[in-house]
Amino acid sequence: MPPTFYMKKCTGCGLCDSICPADAIYMKEFEDTSVPYLKYPDECWHCGSCRQDCPEGAIEIQFPPDMLCI
Amino acid sequence: MELIDLSADVLIIGGGLAGTNAAMGAAEKGASVLVADKGNINRSGDIGGGVDHFLAFLNEGQEWDTQNAFLDYVEMIGRGTGHLSIIESVYCAELPDAIERMARIGNPLTQADGSFYRTQSMGQPGTYWINFNGKRLKPCLGKAVRKLGCTVLDKVMMVDLLTHQDAVVGGIGFHIRSGSFYILQTKATVIATGNTNRLYENPRINPFNTWLCPFDTGDGQIMALNAGAALTNMEYMRMTLLPKGFAAPGFNALVGMGGRFLNSLGEYYMEKHHPMGNRAPRYEVVYFTLEEIRKGHGPIYIDCRHLNENDLIHLETSLGYDKDTLPDYFEQRKEDLRTKPVEITVSEGMQAGPTEVTGSGIKIDKNSAATVPGLFACGDASDHNRCVHGAVTGGYKAGKSAATYAKGLTHGDGAPKSIIREEIDRFMKPLHRPSGYPYRQIEDAIRKIMAEHVGPMRTEGSLKCGLEKLQRIESYLDEMKATNFHELMRAHETRSILSVGKVMATTALFRTESRNKPYHHRLDFPDTDNTNWCGLVVFRKDGDRLSCSFEPTT
Ligand SMILES: Cc1cc2nc3c(=O)[nH]c(=O)nc-3n(C[C@H](O)[C@H](O)[C@H](O)COP(=O)(O)OP(=O)(O)OC[C@H]3O[C@@H](n4cnc5c(N)ncnc54)[C@H](O)[C@@H]3O)c2cc1C
Ligand code: SF4
Ligand code: SF4
Repeated sequence: MPPTFYMKKCTGCGLCDSICPADAIYMKEFEDTSVPYLKYPDECWHCGSCRQDCPEGAIEIQFPPDMLCI
Repeated sequence: MELIDLSADVLIIGGGLAGTNAAMGAAEKGASVLVADKGNINRSGDIGGGVDHFLAFLNEGQEWDTQNAFLDYVEMIGRGTGHLSIIESVYCAELPDAIERMARIGNPLTQADGSFYRTQSMGQPGTYWINFNGKRLKPCLGKAVRKLGCTVLDKVMMVDLLTHQDAVVGGIGFHIRSGSFYILQTKATVIATGNTNRLYENPRINPFNTWLCPFDTGDGQIMALNAGAALTNMEYMRMTLLPKGFAAPGFNALVGMGGRFLNSLGEYYMEKHHPMGNRAPRYEVVYFTLEEIRKGHGPIYIDCRHLNENDLIHLETSLGYDKDTLPDYFEQRKEDLRTKPVEITVSEGMQAGPTEVTGSGIKIDKNSAATVPGLFACGDASDHNRCVHGAVTGGYKAGKSAATYAKGLTHGDGAPKSIIREEIDRFMKPLHRPSGYPYRQIEDAIRKIMAEHVGPMRTEGSLKCGLEKLQRIESYLDEMKATNFHELMRAHETRSILSVGKVMATTALFRTESRNKPYHHRLDFPDTDNTNWCGLVVFRKDGDRLSCSFEPTT
């Protein structure tokens, strides 16, 4: 599950959803605001585009155990 | 379902590196342009997250730095895989303009002081790689294309070409979120959909953990084939060396800066096997690495401990230009280039060009035109472009040629609307089945069959067996179920992947020799036979009839 969204920083702008080449990030409504979530975590290519483009620095990349251990 | 009809002079299918350059080429020639990409052109395709090497001769005074010396290099590493006259036209002639264009759009190939940082690897006679910071290249290209007034259709997956009176007259596709169906009628069409990935079983478990973009699945090549266009070099299974658990590129940077390949016996094996050592052509490095693993000399490492501080700093920085998240990966895996060798492995296979300077896919001529009127191709989807330099130069060339063709047509007859409507239902079927197989189940089987029977050790027997099994799995394509438009996109990708697999097995069976081993390695014909096989295998589909023929390059 590489991208992790930090809700305290996220403004719900939707840019990560718009640019993700995997179509993996979607927005959903949560407590009256729009928030991003990773709908297709297995399809993430770890390209880092969401993190680069997020205007709030609200995305961090964490590699899953299989990638770190094999 | 909403139907959206649009028309223009030129349609670009795939707004990756080649497609955005094609859009610029067509628009700067005065054509009206539509660009459709399944992603967002600001970040889609291979280099969405960044890139760091551009191959070029620069005429800076050295003997190897000229066009003639470059073409000798092409002949040395890619003999029999491309026509020099076409490479001259789609790459060499376009190169000065391409370098200038990258600077013009805001992502120059130069360092801050205006100089080129040049390195050597992959069998090059001199420092042909320009090392640069390409992290903003895709956003800059996206911006330039929009600024030129092109109509950009982000998140639109194209599924077929429109043909009329034997010419290509546009294409159809759907929006992967809303499902709106697009009917794009144009005078000329450029295919720029990249190479074919997710085709082989992945040594890193997840099929999306690929070297090249996993969303490039050969769709354009198969659309072109179905419209009557010829494909070439489809037998080649490209591979590289990558960090063990993460398919992040870095080969050029690591070797270009002086990294050495090490086996578990502590031997720098490439220095033993090849006169060019670690800087041998990529396919040779992969070949000898597979041999080392087979002999029980794995795991394999890249050793950078001997590099000086400046080179290490440069290397660490540029690895993150090429794959933004590779520095995070090294950190989280606790790898440190400075203190210990990093474990690497041979990548998954993919269908792509046999060298960095010769491609595979849609057969193009000197004007980037395919063998069907109205159709052009560029980038990794075409047989005479490859890599970043090929996509930037060849893309622009294809765009210009498509614009010229479109302007030369006195009238452009579109395909009749009634036929198009019938077609649309066909592409939506996986959504309407009450039940069926998820795309992933079919795709996993394809990857397994490809790895076991159409991989780097092929024989007539294995290829025939592979083809038979691919045909068996093909009968299940019409039983795929999609529950939304995202899954519908994946299901169409599965179809393309399977078709490319079949073309690959068929052409590999036809070529009874080995070339650029291990990319096409026939165990039953292990030698390279330049007397009979120095050239391209041309694959065509005529109705239901498939045919292979041979076209010499010398
Ligand atoms: C991370 C990375 C780093 C690399 N670094 C280097 C380097 O430093 N130097 C070098 O020479 N090469 C490098 N390469 C290879 C090089 O980037 C590619 O060869 C080149 O970018 C290919 O360009 P392209 O336009 O053909 O493909 P892409 O840029 O991948 O574009 C294809 C586009 O088509 C779209 N598409 C596909 N199918 C459809 C469809 N059915 N409908 C609509 N759109 C579709 C995709 O979304 C994509 O945007 C690298 C590759 C990767 C992945
Ligand atoms: S890293 Fe790339 S593929 Fe993964 S979620 Fe972010 S933008 Fe999408
Ligand atoms: S780009 Fe950043 S701020 Fe915008 S929605 Fe995504 S995580 Fe939130």
